[in-house]
Amino acid sequence: MGVTGSAMKELNLAVIVKLEPDFSEGNVSYNADGTLNRAETKSILGPHSAIACSAAFYAKVKYGARISVGTMGPPIADAALAQAQQICDADELHLYSDRLFAGADTWATAETLRAGIAKMQGKMDIVFSGHRASDGETGQTGPQTALKLGYTFLGHVIDYEVDMDRRVVRAKRLITLQGFYDVIEEVEAPLPVFIAIDPSYKPSFNTVSQRLAYEKYQKEAKARVANYKQYLKVFNAQQLEVDPKMVGLPGSPTIVYKVEKIPKAKASRKTEVIDGSNRAELRRVAIKIHEVLGGMVIK
Amino acid sequence: MTEHYDVAIIGGGSAGLAALKQLANLGKQAVLIEAGKQVGSKNVSGGILYSKRPKRGSTHNVEDVYENFLSEAPVERKITKYILHAVSKDKEFAIDLTSAHEYQANFAYSVLLNRLNGWFAKQAGEAAEKQGGGIVSGVHVRSITLNDEKTIIETDEIEPFEVKAVIAADGVNSEIAQLTGARPKFTPAQLYQGVKVVVKLPEEIIEQRFGIGPDEGAAHLFSGDITLNHIGGGFLYTNHDTLSVGAVYHYDSLLGRPAEPYTLIDALLKNPMVSEFIKDEVAVKQEIDKSLPKEEQLRIRFAVSKLVKTWNELRDAHYSPAARRKLVEAGKYKSEDEIKARLDSIRNELQTKYATRFVTDYVELEYSAKLVPDGKRCMMKKPYHKNVLFIGDAAGRGVFIGPRIEGINVGIDDAVRAANSVARAIDRNDFSTLGEHYTQQVEESPFTRDMREIDKDYLKTFLDAAKDVPKDIVGQRYGMIFRLMSSGTFRGLAVGFANILGYDKLLPMVESEETYVQVPIEIAERLGQTVTATYTPTIPGVAERIARLKYDDDRQPHIKVLDPESEFMKKLVMLCPTSCYSLEAGKVMLQHEACIECGTCAKETEWRHPRGEKGVIFQYG
Ligand SMILES: Cc1cc2nc3c(=O)[nH]c(=O)nc-3n(C[C@H](O)[C@H](O)[C@H](O)COP(=O)(O)OP(=O)(O)OC[C@H]3O[C@@H](n4cnc5c(N)ncnc54)[C@H](O)[C@@H]3O)c2cc1C
Ligand code: SF4
Repeated sequence: MGVTGSAMKELNLAVIVKLEPDFSEGNVSYNADGTLNRAETKSILGPHSAIACSAAFYAKVKYGARISVGTMGPPIADAALAQAQQICDADELHLYSDRLFAGADTWATAETLRAGIAKMQGKMDIVFSGHRASDGETGQTGPQTALKLGYTFLGHVIDYEVDMDRRVVRAKRLITLQGFYDVIEEVEAPLPVFIAIDPSYKPSFNTVSQRLAYEKYQKEAKARVANYKQYLKVFNAQQLEVDPKMVGLPGSPTIVYKVEKIPKAKASRKTEVIDGSNRAELRRVAIKIHEVLGGMVIK
Repeated sequence: MTEHYDVAIIGGGSAGLAALKQLANLGKQAVLIEAGKQVGSKNVSGGILYSKRPKRGSTHNVEDVYENFLSEAPVERKITKYILHAVSKDKEFAIDLTSAHEYQANFAYSVLLNRLNGWFAKQAGEAAEKQGGGIVSGVHVRSITLNDEKTIIETDEIEPFEVKAVIAADGVNSEIAQLTGARPKFTPAQLYQGVKVVVKLPEEIIEQRFGIGPDEGAAHLFSGDITLNHIGGGFLYTNHDTLSVGAVYHYDSLLGRPAEPYTLIDALLKNPMVSEFIKDEVAVKQEIDKSLPKEEQLRIRFAVSKLVKTWNELRDAHYSPAARRKLVEAGKYKSEDEIKARLDSIRNELQTKYATRFVTDYVELEYSAKLVPDGKRCMMKKPYHKNVLFIGDAAGRGVFIGPRIEGINVGIDDAVRAANSVARAIDRNDFSTLGEHYTQQVEESPFTRDMREIDKDYLKTFLDAAKDVPKDIVGQRYGMIFRLMSSGTFRGLAVGFANILGYDKLLPMVESEETYVQVPIEIAERLGQTVTATYTPTIPGVAERIARLKYDDDRQPHIKVLDPESEFMKKLVMLCPTSCYSLEAGKVMLQHEACIECGTCAKETEWRHPRGEKGVIFQYG
């Protein structure tokens, strides 16, 4: 059956996730200067991070892997870790939290994450990350962490399998050649690898044993999330044993000089609020639509 | 590489789930495949779940399969009152049948299948997991290959897998029965169409109105003109804070005189006795003054919606001791009196500030329908094909006698028998006699006896209960037979004769419009009291009922019309409970999107359940 026997060496997976502002339902709030007001904006597990979690969960269902999830952020970021655990039934949750980490660019973040991954239980065979974060276009964190770990980097992965005997990953990568066409590239790489998951990734569980394992781990995840703090380890810089000069602001070669607000173009459309329960109003709308359509030629 | 399991159970209704649990109890590995995304989302019942204690033989009851049933199962109310009403227009005559209801019963609970089957699934799934099996939901079985060597299950969603034996629990519209050729489709003469609505009613109002204590329940049955003169009957069962109101109509009777299922159920709801049972206080919003500024109109709309919602929720809590306690314990209110005071103040605010009216009406939550197999007429004589065993509705097994509709308990009993037979075959590693062994087990079931012959003791409790009915009403129609049946000395003899005749000869005489409609009408007319309705219920139309249901639309239709010009299909234009059929230029057209998978059109269509996760999602069942 699908779940590989215990004779083979277990897979250790890490997922690095990001807490992101919740852009939905008008939860975002901005400072007067146009920058994001992080304190007032509700945070959630980033959508790309959620996809990375489901990609790791796929290996848990299919190969019975162990999963550790790590993130860098303020103490409240543990909520995002609980969300991540719900998706992938993580066995271990890491939060890297220290004032020293503040102001980090992607390179310094990668350093923290590298150190965190080293603290995870077991040697990681695959590290997953989301495609990019939605609040800072910080797509480099993944490749940079891979570089620091010395892992093969596979980006834009839409599907993958692990050959447990040979300990290699076979992955499909979606490559968009702007203006031309999309290519699906199939690659093979020996473990360990770093996989950045493409947003279009969708796991499919297509055998009975996978479906049963899926149910089992989902149930387990629910039970674990109920007291996720039990799985949570919080590390400060000292506990992570990172060089303070390599993390946070001092470790960041990038400086955000200025953020320009893109001025909103003045809308040329006219809006009018219509009361949907008022028949007369609706009739007026119908007439308007009719007028507009009347002028169009429908082929 | 094909995966192997010992047993596949197809269908996660109460029958299939019991089979899974029983196999796990016996230490056997089994996987249950259910098409619905969540177990319980496809099942519909009346419904009362019985546990029986027959004098001869024994039944496998729900509490035998689920050891924690009595302490933990989410049942609604224990039915302690069981009344049959003979109805003619606004007249009704009540016959207390509680003794017939208690006949050889340990207990009976009203249940809603979505919740109950969900609970069964949790118990059965956890037990099955320990044996290397479990529940796979959202997967639809498409075919079965039965070689001498191998049994392969194919589905629409996942890879084929191999098993040693199959338990088909896929309901009245069993595809497995068709795929294996185990039996022909049931005919209308063998079926009833069941239609039901779930009505909301606060907990303590139910108790006051039906004269029952907390957790106690009442069942009311209706016969007479309430079915618009179709053979069948209506029912109303009290749940925890809802009512299940519905009816079953003999399918042959419907084909003879087609009527829309919603018109039929509306007739039931409009009957003064029923409408008085279901009535409640409902807030009706005032039309907003259109001359007000737009912003003001919007503000009022939102304010009123919010207040009405709060009023509804708080009112439900106010009429529920547990909810009241919870609100106080959570510190939301200081006392139960404060809840009442707040409720009154919201009501007052709505009335005075927003001219909201509070009227008497009823609140319908869900509309559903499903065919019911009449076991007397359609139970499979040989409920297997090779190593595939049929149980529950799929095997056409259900006790359907007078007011008795029992399918859930029968399916559970079948499930245990099938599981036991399969476990025995696995232990012996010999499946050659599996089918015969199971057939024998089923033959020994007291339910099979009930589907074959009249039980004179049950008949006696029934006749005793109806002793106040003047003998001439019934007597003039059935003369000799009835006099013999009513007499202690001759009852045995008469029943003996009847049983020699057999159900197939007897049924057309007994299950007739005379019995189900004319006799009750006459009883009501001569003996009944007049019930006066205090309001007229606002009944939602079929479109509104469909709009309230939840679906996961499948673009691919699961039903194919074979002959769009057949007389049968033309009748479906009326008989489909969600009006999926229409007639265009003499041809019947199907729009499958609103289908609630009742099976009424199955006879002359290529009928399948929708693919995994697709189709209707019942919230109550
Ligand atoms: C209106 C009404 C009132 C009733 N009242 C009562 C009552 O008071 N008491 C009582 O005991 N009984 C009552 N019954 C009967 C009772 O509800 C049924 O006998 C019982 O629910 C049947 O259970 P089942 O498990 O056999 O089938 P179902 O509940 O129909 O379950 C079959 C399951 O199989 C699944 N399935 C079907 N095909 C496939 C496939 N190919 N692949 C995967 N899954 C599939 C379906 O999704 C479904 O979940 C009533 C029925 C109705 C309609
Ligand atoms: S289309 Fe057929 S199965 Fe669906 S609701 Fe109508 S009659 Fe029932």
